[in-house]
Amino acid sequence: MQSISKINLLNLPNIFLRTISFSSKLQLKEVFETREGNSLVIKGVHAESGREPFLLKNVSEACPVCSSGLDIKHTDVLILSQFVRSDGCMLPRRITGLCTKQQKRMSTLVTMAQKAGLMPNLNPPNSKNDPKKRGGWKKYHKYFDETTINVR
Amino acid sequence: MTTLKRVQQWATFARIWHVFDASWQNPFDSAQLLKKYLLGLYKPIYHPMNDCGDHVIVINCSDVALPGEEWKKRVYFHHTGYPGGASWTLAHELHKKDPVLILKKAVYNSMDGNLQRRYTMERLHLFPDANVPAKLMGNVSNQIRQIRPIPKRLDHYTQKEIEEYPKLIDYPKDYILR
Ligand SMILES: [Zn+2]
Repeated sequence: MQSISKINLLNLPNIFLRTISFSSKLQLKEVFETREGNSLVIKGVHAESGREPFLLKNVSEACPVCSSGLDIKHTDVLILSQFVRSDGCMLPRRITGLCTKQQKRMSTLVTMAQKAGLMPNLNPPNSKNDPKKRGGWKKYHKYFDETTINVR
Repeated sequence: MTTLKRVQQWATFARIWHVFDASWQNPFDSAQLLKKYLLGLYKPIYHPMNDCGDHVIVINCSDVALPGEEWKKRVYFHHTGYPGGASWTLAHELHKKDPVLILKKAVYNSMDGNLQRRYTMERLHLFPDANVPAKLMGNVSNQIRQIRPIPKRLDHYTQKEIEEYPKLIDYPKDYILR
């Protein structure tokens, strides 16, 4: 389940490296890049997301959030963290598979949770990861009202 | 007067001490709640001329939460009385100066302006953190329930709790993890 490509860096343009794959592209992958002297090794390793045993069954036509019937608040960080990358960036609809309404609502809730400092570990690497170290008014506790979200 | 009646009489008119944790609470909603205890409005013997208010100790005043962007929108006005003596202070500036003042002003403004207000405020004991003198804490016999639940940060959950929480979505098969 591994695709390893070992190419001499001096001969090939950089963009070309990404396209080489010996296994099926349609698998959940984690990409590792290691540099050994003159050669760059790019490994695409098939990874388990670990979510299958805990995934809610969705038998309806609706999107996962609509069919769950949950009233999600901005403090429900265990749910909201499922829709973001490790740097706190919202996943696109192509990947989350939500309907437009819920995608908009979830991204607003994620922003609220981040502003309230409830997901400080999902941040870009240069972040200080502590809401108390923010400047000025941003370091104090704040909460948000979900009824202000305007989703048509 | 029987012993029971005497104790009942004593319990009715004694001042009760309450404690309230202000962390993650809206100070203006809390003021409406604390006012009830400070004035004794919840007592069957309440009357405006009856001095039956309780003491309230508020801890963690520096951890109050304001909704949305109110820390930089709410303005406190003060005038020294001299010409040009007006000043406007934003809520976060006031909070930095004294972490107790926002709650103090909220409670003060929630009550009617009469001669009793200053004396009622004397029964409100505000502390920026949980360090309350043992002499005061020894009087406490009741805890006031918080209005808003304290939210739990994602990094305060264990890795196991995060992994085993029910999942709404799974990544598509061609997704590259990052
Ligand atoms: Zn939907």
